[in-house]
This record gives sequence, C-alpha cells and structure tokens, in this order.
Amino acid sequence: MRIDVCYFCSSKIYPGHGIQFVRNDCKIFKFCRSKCHRAFKRKKNPRKVKWTKAYRKTVGKELAIDPAFEFERRRNIPIKYDRELWQKTLEAIKKVEGIKNKRQAAYIMQRLRKGREIETQRDIREVQRDLSLIKSPAAGLKERMAMEEAIVEEEHDSDMEEQVVEVME
Amino acid sequence: MPGPYRRKKVPGGDGHIRKKLKTKRKTKDLDQIDVDLKDENAKRLLNQEINSDKPGEAQHYCLHCARYFIDNTALQDHFRTKVHKRRLKALELEPYSIEESERAAGQGNYRAPKMRKIVTQDSIKNMEVTVE
Repeated sequence: MRIDVCYFCSSKIYPGHGIQFVRNDCKIFKFCRSKCHRAFKRKKNPRKVKWTKAYRKTVGKELAIDPAFEFERRRNIPIKYDRELWQKTLEAIKKVEGIKNKRQAAYIMQRLRKGREIETQRDIREVQRDLSLIKSPAAGLKERMAMEEAIVEEEHDSDMEEQVVEVME
Repeated sequence: MPGPYRRKKVPGGDGHIRKKLKTKRKTKDLDQIDVDLKDENAKRLLNQEINSDKPGEAQHYCLHCARYFIDNTALQDHFRTKVHKRRLKALELEPYSIEESERAAGQGNYRAPKMRKIVTQDSIKNMEVTVE
C-alpha cells in the first residue's frame, strides 16, 4: 500500500482517495480532494494559502528544519524482503515518530510563549497608562491639602518662638 | 475578508472564468516557465521556425508570459504592461514543485524558496551583445 502526498496541501492520500492530473510534460500531480484540485486549476500558490502545510512551514508556524525529517523519504531503491530488517524498521518508525512529535510540539509551545510575554507587557503598560480609570488622581486631594497647610502653620509657629527667644536674650 | 480568500464578484456569474480553467485551455504553469528560462530552452523558444498556426507566425514570443504576439511593437508594448511586470514579480521566487510539497509533508527538511533576479528577455539579449 502506498500513501501519497497531496501536491497542494501536503496531506496524506490513502488508496481510493483523491484525483491525479498528468501534465503534458509527464509530471504527475496528486490531489487529496477536489478542494485541492480546484485550487491547483485556479493556479493558486500553496505557499500563500493559509491552510496548507507549505504555508505553515514558510511562515514559521511549524517546525521546518530538523534531523527527524530525514527519516521518512522516498527512496527509489528496491530492497529484498528481510524479516529482521522489517521488524527493526517498524520499531524505528515508532521511535522517530515519537521524537518528531515531541519536537514539533515543543516548537509550537516556544512560539506561543513569546506571544504570552508580549501580552503581559502590553497589559502592564495599559494599567500604567490608564490607572486614572481605577483610582482618580483627585482622590484624597482635600485631605492632602489640609495636611500640607498644617505642616506650614507648625513651621511658622516654631519660627515665631525662636524670634521671641532671641528678643528675650 | 482580507487576503487570498476574498471572492471577487463578477457580473453575469463566473462562467467565463470556469471556461478558462478547463484543461483544454490550460496555460503553462510557473514551474514550466522556469524550465523555459534556462538558456538552451530560451534560445529555442526565441528563435522558432515559422509556424502559420501561431500568432505572428511564432516570431514574437514572450518567455515569461508564454505568449505569442503578432509583431515586435505589440511585444514591446506588452513588456510595458502590468500583466508582464506582475509575472516577472511572480517568477522572482522559486516556483513551487512536487518535491517541495513532499518536503512540506515532512519528507526531508523544508527550506524557504530562494529569491532570484528576473529581467525581461530583451534586456537579456542586450546583455549577451555586451558580453560578446
């Protein structure tokens, strides 16, 4: 059983699904569904259509460069059936798949973390700017004024007392 | 909606657009044109034999737009059009290919396409003259 890759969205094409187009230069374009086929006929660029893998990788939404991607490849070399090799590859596939999934998830999480940092900074800035909405700058203004006046009066009183003392001497 | 999802409304339905999209009327894709731009292919296409079935007997061909024109003035006018300039711009990035779709699917590393410098064929001819 061969699982092909869609030309437009790079998804898997299982047997019995999709359609293929053979161009007059013998190149075979495989499509997973009519949506992709139609987009191809309209000459859409998969790199610019947001739901394709090509878009997500060019824009940096998903992990694009990693040694884990080197495992799965089309190798046009016929290999003689060997039970041991077969079993080993099956095990390797599982392991590589696990590693790949972990790395891809980590990449996305790291990407999102940056967004969260920016978000918190933005929130802090907003609170600082609009603090007047929470607490009026005029709150407690009268009390503060009264306090200041009282302090000034006290200072005056002490000055007067000093003068009186000087005169007495 | 912004971006490529916008559907442009056209008067009288999109029948004439559908017609353009038939395989019968298929025009060259960007990756085919990219192959045409290689030196040996470009020479073959720019110096074609006289073919009375083609416009202008296949003597005035625009490489980038894959179009025949009836005479040299029409070709030169075409070089000044928006269609042609837009096509040059589209060819600046390496065209999308089947291999790239496989790389995007996780078969090998996905590297960003390269930018290239694309100039109209006339200036290519002039450059050749200066080199000689």
